[in-house]
Amino acid sequence: MTKLDDLLAYEVVEGLTEGHFTAEEYVISILKRIEEVEPKVHSFITLDTEGALSSAKIIDKKIREKEDIGQLAGVTVGIKDNISTQGIRTTCASKILENYVPTYDAAVIRNLKENGAILLGKLNLDEFGMGSTTEYSRYHPTHNPWNLDYVPGGSSGGSGAAVAAGECTVALGSDTGGSIRCPSSFCSVVGLKPTYGRVSRSGLISYANSLEQIGPICRSVKDLVMILNIISGKDAMDNTSMPSSPITVPNKSNKLNVAVIKELITGSDQEVAKSVFSATEKFQEIGFSCEEVSIKNLHYALPSYYTLASAEASSNLARYDNIRYGFDYPIGEYKWDTYFSNVRENFGEEVKRRILIGSYVLSSGYYGKYYLKARRLRSLLRLELLTLFKKYDLLIGPTMPILPFKFGEKIDDPIKMYLVDVNTVIANLAGIPAISLPIGFSNGLPIGLQIMAAPFEEQKLIDASYELEKVIHIQRRPNSI
Amino acid sequence: MSMVMIGLEIHAQITALNSKLFCSCRGNYRDLRPNSNICEICCGLPGSLPIINQKAIEYSTMTSIALGCKVPDKIMFYRKNYFYPDLPKNFQITQYNVYGISSIGIEGKYELDDAKQIRISRIQLEEDPGRIVYSEGGMNVRNTALIDYNRAGVALIEIVTEPDFTGPKEVRQFLNKLSLTLEHLGVCDTLLEGSVRCDVNVSMNGGNKVEIKNINSFKEVEKAINYEITRQSSVYNRNLNIELETRHWDDKKKITFKARSKEEEHDYRYFPEPDIPVIVLGSDFVSNLKQRMPELPNQRFERFILKYKLSEHTSNILINDKKLADFFESTLKLHFSPTEIANILVTDFKSLIEDDTESTDYLKNLKVKPEHIAELAKLIEGNKISRITAKDILVKIFESGKLPSEVVNSSNSYKIADEKTIMDAVQSVFDTEKSAVEDAKKNREAINFLLGKVMKFTNGRADPKIAMRLINSKLSAPEKQ
Amino acid sequence: MISKEDLEHLAQISRINLTENELEKFPKQLDKTIEYIDILEELASDDSVNLDLQELTFEELRMDEISMSDDKQLNKNITEDGFLRGPKMK
Ligand SMILES: [Zn+2]
Repeated sequence: MTKLDDLLAYEVVEGLTEGHFTAEEYVISILKRIEEVEPKVHSFITLDTEGALSSAKIIDKKIREKEDIGQLAGVTVGIKDNISTQGIRTTCASKILENYVPTYDAAVIRNLKENGAILLGKLNLDEFGMGSTTEYSRYHPTHNPWNLDYVPGGSSGGSGAAVAAGECTVALGSDTGGSIRCPSSFCSVVGLKPTYGRVSRSGLISYANSLEQIGPICRSVKDLVMILNIISGKDAMDNTSMPSSPITVPNKSNKLNVAVIKELITGSDQEVAKSVFSATEKFQEIGFSCEEVSIKNLHYALPSYYTLASAEASSNLARYDNIRYGFDYPIGEYKWDTYFSNVRENFGEEVKRRILIGSYVLSSGYYGKYYLKARRLRSLLRLELLTLFKKYDLLIGPTMPILPFKFGEKIDDPIKMYLVDVNTVIANLAGIPAISLPIGFSNGLPIGLQIMAAPFEEQKLIDASYELEKVIHIQRRPNSI
Repeated sequence: MSMVMIGLEIHAQITALNSKLFCSCRGNYRDLRPNSNICEICCGLPGSLPIINQKAIEYSTMTSIALGCKVPDKIMFYRKNYFYPDLPKNFQITQYNVYGISSIGIEGKYELDDAKQIRISRIQLEEDPGRIVYSEGGMNVRNTALIDYNRAGVALIEIVTEPDFTGPKEVRQFLNKLSLTLEHLGVCDTLLEGSVRCDVNVSMNGGNKVEIKNINSFKEVEKAINYEITRQSSVYNRNLNIELETRHWDDKKKITFKARSKEEEHDYRYFPEPDIPVIVLGSDFVSNLKQRMPELPNQRFERFILKYKLSEHTSNILINDKKLADFFESTLKLHFSPTEIANILVTDFKSLIEDDTESTDYLKNLKVKPEHIAELAKLIEGNKISRITAKDILVKIFESGKLPSEVVNSSNSYKIADEKTIMDAVQSVFDTEKSAVEDAKKNREAINFLLGKVMKFTNGRADPKIAMRLINSKLSAPEKQ
Repeated sequence: MISKEDLEHLAQISRINLTENELEKFPKQLDKTIEYIDILEELASDDSVNLDLQELTFEELRMDEISMSDDKQLNKNITEDGFLRGPKMK
């Protein structure tokens, strides 16, 4: 039998229900694993050992008393630290929110708790989700479990690394321009950015509201579906959330039409492109049709993304003036606006850059030049993709154009850093679902396949991912730790 | 003669709402402990999202209809970005009229009494900020602001006019009429402290526009405009330029003063609020609402004349005090005698409550209820009491809250219709007022004096018709030898 | 080109103090970013494209009902009277 800490989520629920182990035993095994690997990986910002153990005991008691334990009973979940957890500090990996303890739970947290999931703690990220490596965390960078000298991707780097390293059964991340899929690809786990509106954003600390979604990061497609079904649905606390039907897996699926996006292949490293081709072949072997398509507006996607994301961020982050909540910075004798500026000096460099760019593109005189054009591109891109989805069920390409890279490689050149998001931002701009699935390694570094579908067609994504997962056997646990 | 152009920007709270514009906290924030009427949404905690109040859309649409505005099929919200400690998110969610979709009302027209039209540029729905109390005295608190967010997020309707007013009188007329309209719609109780605020812009002789902010009641608006016209005239007469500037109204000193120039340098960086989708009202929305909408003052005025056959003068007095008009109609439900009841209300009744009409609920606190007035009218019509007695009875009802019949019984105030008793009174008047009797014989108009004396003699209880007849016959009767 | 003054203005409207180091390197970095997004200018401005992904109908909006929890939303800098103490205004 597999080691307890290596179980998949559905195996945990099964094992508990069938009495093979208790929730407490399972949580202790996970805490041991954390103790073992955390000094190398650094996934967590805040670990809630006591909370996790007491939740486990409650579940065990319910099992003894034959009460309903919920669909995720015993599953340990790591939460990206930009998702609000009542009573547990939520920092966004920022100095500014060092002492911020939310008074309410995010909708997804409520869903998880109601279904018996055990919250383990809060996972590292790039400050406010702005970055692709976790190097912009104000606490510490997270290391890639497959090679500790490499970045785990970001911004949900803590989530990707923790799941890959077995520090939690599953994790939640958030994805504004690829923040779930990038670390999923770099850490060789499965990560989904749902259709915009499928999952409530209530309690997700906003970076760019119109682009982002919370989504699961897991070690198997089946696990991912379990989590997705629990966190999906229309929520009264989010006017942009929408109802959706649950996903089933395995599903009696038809053979799907897949199209490879040409530009994403030509823009990628050779090793990455090669791996995607072999995945394409696998698709064909299981009877899917595969063609090649081109996306006309792709060229403008990333500039458009950075314009919109920065604009929204500059406004979202205005509230951090430290008078209602925040960190320790006495009011002293400062006049209010001096106080605001002083306090906000404590944002990290990348956050400051995006706020400044955001203020710039929204300034009178520039609004039409940047913001409005970016909105327009967004609509054009969405239209173009929706047209393609009339012909194809799925669009695929590499999640990341490159292999994971070493710390410090891109941190001094913002544009270089932004360019790694070029494949992922498409789904955020168009509001469509996209998954990253592990498909192989090159020199021990993971490669992920990105699959995109039409809005609310997550079932198709899952069908294809599940079939592919079955035929590509990927090593699940890294050797390096 | 100088040419004055005045425009208004009015903020009226929707005091009729139970909850705030974007959360379920109380809309009535008055008299609560500071910061006790707040939640994660209205105090801008990270991750909270605005959840728009359906009823607020309805009330602002009704206001738009009443002010002759067009209401679009779709509306949108925008963010107005600026920093200020009373603004929990450091941006305000409001509406904005560019780039296609408009605010709740546009391009309206509103008629003053002399048929002059004031153009309404736009009507917007937006959120109120919190309140800053500047602490006075005390070494420890002198330098800090005390902030209360209980008001933050309360729904406001902003009404912006074109600069169509040529003087303070027109402004007063407009504001009176607007208050009445808001009251009839049930949107805003304009007498509640802080429920209406007004910014005014004044320009003279085609010169620069001066904006006056911080006028916290409609009553002060006229004073501020008068002050500003005098100030600008004196600047003009000295051949100086009137500066384009923002001034503030000091309601203690009754002057306007120049705002520090820094506060004017606003670049609000408007952009569409990403957390609120476009709201589709639909083409039937306005026509359906029109059917359900409360009656407007003009409509009510016409109905009073048509249905109740009241004079324009009487109707006007009633309509101009909505609570009095409501009282009138409740009384009619008990006893349908419009002329008599209107007569009581606009004369004696109104003079008795005159001092009290400033308080918002003056009619509720009165001991006199529609039942009283209905009964009083019945007594008059049934010839049981005279109109003059009725006034005295009314005074007694006001004090005691007793029903008119009780008062009449206990004070023996029934009308005297008995000719014998009245004749006795006439006789004693004739005996004491000899010269007046002589006058009356020559000049019939002096008869009223005698009638007055008879009425006084009977404490107003004599039936004036009978008394008159008796006086007449006595005057024309041949004198006794 | 973003001048030092432009940068200071942007920092001022964003209420952010910049460190010496940032004042030094930001103009060049922001320039590069703006240069990168300048490509958007190539796009035509055409009002016919519907810019909005999502719509809500009136019926879907929240009912006007009060619902409040007793949770304390603000915890720091609260005076005895319940006011939040902020920095001085003048
Ligand atoms: Zn609230």
